[in-house]
Amino acid sequence: MAFLLRRLGFYFGAFFVAITLNFLIPRLMPGDPATRILLSLRGKLRPDQIDAIRKTYGFEGSLWDQYLQYLWRLAHFDFGTSTVNFPEPTASLLFYAAGWTLFLVGAATALSFGIGITMGIWSAWRRGGFFDTFFTPINVMLNAFTPAVVALLLWYAFTMQWAIFPLGRAHEMNLTPGFNLETVLSIAWHAVLPVASIVIVSFGAWHLGMRNTMINLLNEDFVLLAKAKGLSDRRIRNRYVARNAILPQITSLALSIGYVLGGAFITEVVFNYPGLGKFTLNAIQTRDYSFIQAQLILLTMSVLVANLASDVLNVILDPRLRSLGRA
Amino acid sequence: MSDAPLIEVRNLTVDYVGANSVSRAVNGIDFDIRPGEAFGLAGESGCGKSTVAFALARLTRLPGLVSGGAVRFMGEDVLSFSAERLRRYRWSEVSFVFQSAMNALNPVIKVSEQIEDAILAHRPRASRAETLARAAELFELVGISPRRLDDYPHQFSGGMRQRICIAMALALEPRLIIMDEPTTALDVVVQRDIIEQICELKARFGFSVLFITHDLGLMIEFCDRIGVMYAGELVEVAPASAILTAPQHPYTRALGRSFPPLSGPRFRLEGIAGSPPSLSALPEGCRFSPRCGEAIPVCVRLAPELRPTPATGGEAACHLLQ
Repeated sequence: MAFLLRRLGFYFGAFFVAITLNFLIPRLMPGDPATRILLSLRGKLRPDQIDAIRKTYGFEGSLWDQYLQYLWRLAHFDFGTSTVNFPEPTASLLFYAAGWTLFLVGAATALSFGIGITMGIWSAWRRGGFFDTFFTPINVMLNAFTPAVVALLLWYAFTMQWAIFPLGRAHEMNLTPGFNLETVLSIAWHAVLPVASIVIVSFGAWHLGMRNTMINLLNEDFVLLAKAKGLSDRRIRNRYVARNAILPQITSLALSIGYVLGGAFITEVVFNYPGLGKFTLNAIQTRDYSFIQAQLILLTMSVLVANLASDVLNVILDPRLRSLGRA
Repeated sequence: MSDAPLIEVRNLTVDYVGANSVSRAVNGIDFDIRPGEAFGLAGESGCGKSTVAFALARLTRLPGLVSGGAVRFMGEDVLSFSAERLRRYRWSEVSFVFQSAMNALNPVIKVSEQIEDAILAHRPRASRAETLARAAELFELVGISPRRLDDYPHQFSGGMRQRICIAMALALEPRLIIMDEPTTALDVVVQRDIIEQICELKARFGFSVLFITHDLGLMIEFCDRIGVMYAGELVEVAPASAILTAPQHPYTRALGRSFPPLSGPRFRLEGIAGSPPSLSALPEGCRFSPRCGEAIPVCVRLAPELRPTPATGGEAACHLLQ
């Protein structure tokens, strides 16, 4: 428990540092967003209008006042107003995009973890067998592909050559989203290619990681002893080898879940998917500071939360860490 | 103690198969272990002691391969067991205690589960209450409080872990327990406790032991008979008491001279000049001949065979004895 509290304290500190940097960086850079708007309006503004704009974007008063105001707004999930999609609040754009990304990248991560781990178990268990010698090199190769190539290939093949899947977007344009079969099917159908393009380049890493850890464990005395005990192959594989080999993979999984909210830039752009990656790219191109800042905070938070989750999970799954925490 | 052997090993041969070479780690050895007997295998590192031990339960790991001979357990040929028969034979007839208790237990599973799964693998219909009661009973046998059953391996000391391994080995009351350096990783005081415990349990349950250790003194004390191995072959089998007092084979003699006695006159320890041959470049004739001070011309041409030695009631493989 003390261990977890210490970790919690650390993560809180890290979060604070991150949001402070997030506050300082745009203010230390030449040309704040308010100035940019003023410039784009070519100075045809009265002084009180200028003040109003500065106030809207939180650039009023001393740096300290601004910081306190920034924290206050943050605590209320008020990320300001989008400078590009004015006057849409940034928060609503962010949460809209985050929802789609969470679904897209989350599903892809879960799938590639599941596929990769299962394949890793089998290829390590029958090392040098057909499954291993056939799939391991293929997966190494797929893992070396860049997402851009795969996404473009899939997009070209399955929407242009054979028009099986939709060109893009998260669902049909004229669909009114609701909890009905039509919505679910439409969303799933639209997600097939984007999810596939992420899974194809990422499951190989899980496969290789799991396979290597398993192979190292197979030489352990306790595995030999399990065999000497006359346990079934299935039990040895699952309880004595895979059970131990999954621990480092869980840590990696938690970390990659943290980055889910970073979005999948290329996939989302190729398939015109309304996720965080596409929105962030758009925000960078149009200098929508409030969105970039909000996205950074969201990403920081999710990475920290995922790290914390990985700590907690490891303590639950690995008894050796439990007593470490106690000591 | 009946005279019908519990396990008979005949002309057992184990090879290690490389990419384009084959090394014979165990070259046609014969020995018996009788019911209730403690049989020791002595020899330098790499002479094939553990390889023999693993072969008895067909646990030889690739690239090792049992390439010839027979292992008969109560008359049944272990090497021709089906997979299912083999699974049932393991642990219920022959169980193991390994050297490193540190690594012999899965660090992320409770020790109770690791004992219970051995029982369940052989008695699938046993209830959870039965297996738990048996695990508690076993813990008490080796002097550990059953309250600690739900602890994990890292919460025990090295000596306790080895006791847990012994408890586990007793779970199904096997007829033979193979102990491969069971005390090597422990300090001498704990070592003594463990050996005494094994002796006590052995007297109580009457199982046989195949005992492997580098500690010749300990082996002589614990075992009834000892087989001395050199470069994958048995060079002498003799009652434990005769190994130091009446060694027949020059190698046994040399081994004895490498150990300091605790009483009696002092003498200079000699050791054995040279080192054991590489398995891929074995000398012709007797494998010990290049290091043997008493070698005669025939030794480098012809490999000697095990023959009875009337002086000890055992066997030895040496041209000088014929």
